[in-house]
This record gives sequence, structure tokens and C-alpha cells, in this order.
Amino acid sequence: MSRCSNGVAWLLVLAALGCSRPAEERTRGDLEVGHAEGPTFEVRVASGLAAIRGLTRDQLALWLSAPSTDLSFEVHEAVQLELLVENAMASVELIDLSSGQILSVSSGAVSTKKSWNVPLAPGSWHFRLSAPRAAENGRFRFALMSDVQEAIDRVQDVYRVINAQTDLDFLLGAGDLTEEGEVDELQRFQHELATLSVPYYTTLGNHELGERPPVFQQWFGRANFQFAHRGVYFTLLDSASATIDPLALEWLDGWLANARNSVHVVAMHITPLDPVGTRNAAFASRAEAAALLAKLAEGGVDLTLYGHIHSHYSFQNAGIAAVISGGGGATPEGGSGIGRHFVVFEVDAARGVVSSEVVPVDP
Amino acid sequence: MPAFGAEPAPDTGVHVESNVATTSVANPTPARPADPLTRDRKIAAAVAVVPGFALHGSGHYALGQKKTAFALLLSEGVGLALVLGGYGTLRASGNSRYLAGPAVAATVFGAGLLFASFGADLYGTLATDGAAVDSIPHAPPRLESELGYRYVGDPHFSYDHFVVESFTLRQGRFRFTPSAWFATNSSNVRYRVEAAFRLVGLEPGELGKRDDHVDVVLGGLHQRYLPERFRRSGVEVALDTRFDLAHLGDTLRGSFIDMALGYGVAKVTYDLQGLTVPADTDDLLLVKVGLGIALRGRAARGSEARVFYDHRHDDYAGAFLTPGRISGVFGQFGADLRWYFTPRLGVLADARVGSAWVSGLSLLIREGTVSSPGTSP
Repeated sequence: MSRCSNGVAWLLVLAALGCSRPAEERTRGDLEVGHAEGPTFEVRVASGLAAIRGLTRDQLALWLSAPSTDLSFEVHEAVQLELLVENAMASVELIDLSSGQILSVSSGAVSTKKSWNVPLAPGSWHFRLSAPRAAENGRFRFALMSDVQEAIDRVQDVYRVINAQTDLDFLLGAGDLTEEGEVDELQRFQHELATLSVPYYTTLGNHELGERPPVFQQWFGRANFQFAHRGVYFTLLDSASATIDPLALEWLDGWLANARNSVHVVAMHITPLDPVGTRNAAFASRAEAAALLAKLAEGGVDLTLYGHIHSHYSFQNAGIAAVISGGGGATPEGGSGIGRHFVVFEVDAARGVVSSEVVPVDP
Repeated sequence: MPAFGAEPAPDTGVHVESNVATTSVANPTPARPADPLTRDRKIAAAVAVVPGFALHGSGHYALGQKKTAFALLLSEGVGLALVLGGYGTLRASGNSRYLAGPAVAATVFGAGLLFASFGADLYGTLATDGAAVDSIPHAPPRLESELGYRYVGDPHFSYDHFVVESFTLRQGRFRFTPSAWFATNSSNVRYRVEAAFRLVGLEPGELGKRDDHVDVVLGGLHQRYLPERFRRSGVEVALDTRFDLAHLGDTLRGSFIDMALGYGVAKVTYDLQGLTVPADTDDLLLVKVGLGIALRGRAARGSEARVFYDHRHDDYAGAFLTPGRISGVFGQFGADLRWYFTPRLGVLADARVGSAWVSGLSLLIREGTVSSPGTSP
């Protein structure tokens, strides 16, 4: 029977290595994103839609996760604040919500990196960062690009082709920006993004989990979040651990309700069900996958977007249109006949997903 | 079935107590092993760990069981080649849809062989009552029924407690096993039926010294998740095998390796009120490896303990979750223990860990077993 005891011990070791909620800490970490207190003021980014990249007595640096977000300040003493905003739409404006006044930009009028000088007296202040027509329903284009990983040295090729696209509002990412998710890799990724003409809103992938604990949220913001743009809702979920944490699923219920009568796009890294099931590049639990898809279908989701598989697949899950695009440069799936690419979508708040087009990077 | 490459086990004078007669053994007059480096099994077991962790079979080599040692080393080499070949194929092909299945199967079987050759070396250096195993009948029972409880710990689902029942009927080479799981605290059920044909191996009532088999198994599965509003129904086919490691040497009598390879396809149907949603089709690679031992001593025949890896990503256990980037890659790890107190009555304890914990205990009742020489039915 000693061998039986060994078997039990072996199972206990496995149980210690594994865990039923590997994304729990990250998900709870989402609640910390976009809130900080400095010596002269406290700032809150609505819904955590920006990572606070720097905070000093008179300077605040943000990395946006969405086209629009509100900022609230509790100012303790008068300060001339320099607000640095990265990953912003080129047309984004800073609006003082108490006066309705649009503040003039100090630098970066036509780039994704901007700054404003904002005089703040003690008290409460509310601002909105938003593109001029972001709140109006309409038609627009965005692109999906994921899975750069080890190909960061060649990512500028991809950005050049993306920049050549006309009328893209933003680029959406479904994770695996880096190989391991280490600080220098995330820093490098943000540095490379400086040449991109549109902002890149992304969740993380399993390749961002090499660092313990993962530092993705410090650089790019929340792993689970929702934003709306021109009447279309975008929900990004953290499936990097081949599961979605139950806490994030609770949030999803609310996000599905928000978008119930609107066009709704949901993106995550690992697909619930791999179109090639024997490969298992999908959720760890097929039952959890089906439960999530049932929830998305019932919530009226119009489009699901995934990464992780280094190819392009267009299919349906639970009757919802689905696209896998992992063409950011990581080793392509052999035999799939497609290399580096991204996918451009045209969506309309009234009509839904109007079109999609796969754009190859390498001729 | 003749054992190939088998050498007599060294008699160290240390035997596990057995209630099974040991008269009809293969080697009634064991020959002495050739040039053992040591006759002390504790030292041999230590050698099986260091350098045996890297050179499988080292423990047997130290005991002078050179052919068995070589067979284990060869198993390690084959296992390593399969792992490197399988994993290398996955990496090089970018997890190609055309190569992933065979590459994963090769990797799992390779890892199974690596684990088995290391474990078998350790087992063979420590087990001293291999002769007792020869007298244990390995034929399966004609009838076996199971009634038990399983706990399923999954934070994504409201169920926790299940009543489990199954029934197995064997007739000649055929086996038929319907089973059902009923959640007691949620509206969830699982029905499964298996029909198997034994290509190689003992049928009920047959006598045989070795515990080998090759079965073709057809399975059908239906699971209902009422609160989550979906059903999953599937069919699968698998080749299920057991290889008695005694073929590699008498010291390994009582140990075995299980391997299974198959394919399954399932339909996921969504039951959403007021919505017509097309079903999804989902296919599965079925690969399983296990390493086990036959229990003797106070345990009645048919008792065994096993650890296993099952590449399934479905069912209640799902696949193994980890904090790092390989979460969800591995399937389920588990162990089970089948212990018969009497020829008819026993218990099954099992545990699996994947994305959920599944563990529990069942009462087993069987009929139609073969008596071992010198024991009562």
C-alpha cells in the first residue's frame, strides 16, 4: 500500500501545482487599475479604462484601454497638472465636464501620444477623454491583430501595412504581445507602438503569464474590460489561462446587459472551442466553454474574436460569428496557408458587422 | 503467454505477506542473477533513483537483472524520442491542425513510457513477492456493478455532489457498460455507455498468468447542463490496451502499463429560451497512459492501484489549469484504487484533477470471477 500512498502524494503535488482559479489574482487586479493617489491629488479612471503609468506631484501619465473614458480628480492642493496620455485616438479631446469646455492640447495633436496642461484647484474635478463623435452611433472600421510574441523585431512591417489602411479607428488585440510578458518585453512593445497611427486596445494572452505575478496590467491596463465606441460595445476578456475567472463572468453578465440592444463584439485570447478539437488550443474545460458560449449567445453577442492560434479561422460558435487571427508574427501554423496578417472589420451600430477582410502583411 | 527477456528475480528473503497460494509459479527454482552489484534492495532502490532518474533500469542493473535493465533503458530511450519528436513537431509546425493530434499522442505516450520505465525500475527493485502475482487470476468478472459518490469541485458550476452507478456485463470477448452520474444539488446528469470487443486478452473464466489486453471500445456520452442551458452528446472509439510489465522481467510481475488512443466527436446543443442557436461540433483526441500494480496480501484478486494521465479536456474534470502560460495544455491527472475485500465485494476510490477536482468512492459487487489455485471462490 505504500505505492498507493505515493500515488496520493503525487496527486497532492499536482493539486498544489495546479489551481482551479489561475486567473483569480489577475481578475481581482483589474479592480486596482486606474486608481492612484499622489501627494497633491487622487485620480480615478472610470471603469479602469486606463493604466496609470506615472504619477508625481504635478504629472499624470495614462495608457488608455479605450477610445473614451472619464477621469475624476480629488485635488488636495492647487496644482498645474501635466496630463500625458498615450494610446489615444488622434482626434481625442479632453473635456471639462463641469464647464463643457474642451481643453486645448499641449502636444501631439495628430498622434496617439498627447499632453495637456490642466490647472486644478482643490476640490473635485471631472474630465472626459473622448473623440469628437465617439458617443454618436455610426459606422467605423477597426482591425484585429494578435500573437506577435518572438517576432517583435519585425512588428514594424505589420504596423506599416496597418498604417496604410484608411479610416481605421483602432486596433484590437487578443493577447500574446510578447514571448514571456516580462517588463522589458512590455516596454519594448509599447515603444514599438509609437509608430502605429491608431491606438491598440488589448487584453493579454498566455504568453504574458511568464512573469509571476504578471505585470501586464501595470503597462496595458485591465485584462477584462468593456468600452463602447460609436454605439458598438467591445468586451475584452482574460482567457489567457484557458479559463475565465468566475468573477469576470459575473462582470460579463453586466456587460452583456449593457450591450443587450447594441452591436456587441467580444474578444479574448484563447478560444472556448478550437475548430480543430483534437488540438486542444482552447479552454481547459469543454463544459466551461459551452457554458460561456451559451451565455454569449443568450446575450446577443454579434462577433467573437480570438488569438492564440497562429493562423486565420472564420467560423461560428453558438451561432455567433467567430474569427481567430494570430497573425502578428509568431511561428505560423504549418499548412494553414497564411502567414502574418490582420483582419479589418467594418461595423455599424445599426446594422451590425458589415464586413471583414483578411489583410496579409507579407505579399 | 511466454515472457521474453525475463530473468529470475533475486531472492532476498524479504516477502510481502500474501494470502494467495504461490505454488504454481513460473520460476519455482530461481536462478541467481548474473554479477549483481548489490543484493541489498534498499541500495538498488537508491540506485534506481540516482542515477536511475536519468538512466532508467539502473536499479535492476545493480541487482544483476541486466536484460530487464536494458529493456527499461530502451523504454526510456523510446519514450524520450517520442517526447522530443512529438513536442518538436508541435513547435516546428506551429501546432498545425494536421500534425497536432499525432504529435500530442506521441508526446503523451513518450512521457508515459518515461514515467513507466522509471517507476517500473523502482518497483522491481523493491517488490519481492512477484511470484505471488503469478497465481492471481487476471480474467475479468462476468458481472460487475458500482454504486458510489463523487465530489466535483468546479468553481464554474453549481454542482458538487454526484451519485454514480454503473453496470458491466461481459460475455466472451464482448463487454457492455452503461453508467450514469446524477448531481444531487443541481440539474446535471451524465449518461455513458461503452461497448467493447477484446481483441487480445483473457475472457471471463479463462486462466492466464499475464494481465494483458487489447480492446476496441465504442462509447456514447450524453451530458445535460440544465442551469447552463446546454447539452453535450458524443460518440467515441478507442483502442484500450494493457501491457503486463512482467514481459520485461520477472521482477516486474504485478505491474502494468495502460495505454489508450482514440477519437471522439460531440455535438454541443444550446437550449436558449426564444432563440434558435445552431449546435457546435467538437472533436476530441483521446490519449491515456497509466502505470499500476496488482495488489496482493490482504487484497482479493482483481485489486489494483494505478496512477494515470488522461488527455481528455471534456467531462467533469476538464484539463489541468496552472498559473503559468501552459494552463489548459495538459489533460487530467489521476489515481484510482480498486480493492476487493472478498471475491465479490470491493471498493473503488478515485481522484482526478483537471480544471476541476473529481474524487469519490464506490462500492463494487461482482460475480463470475475465476478462483485462484488454492483459494475459495
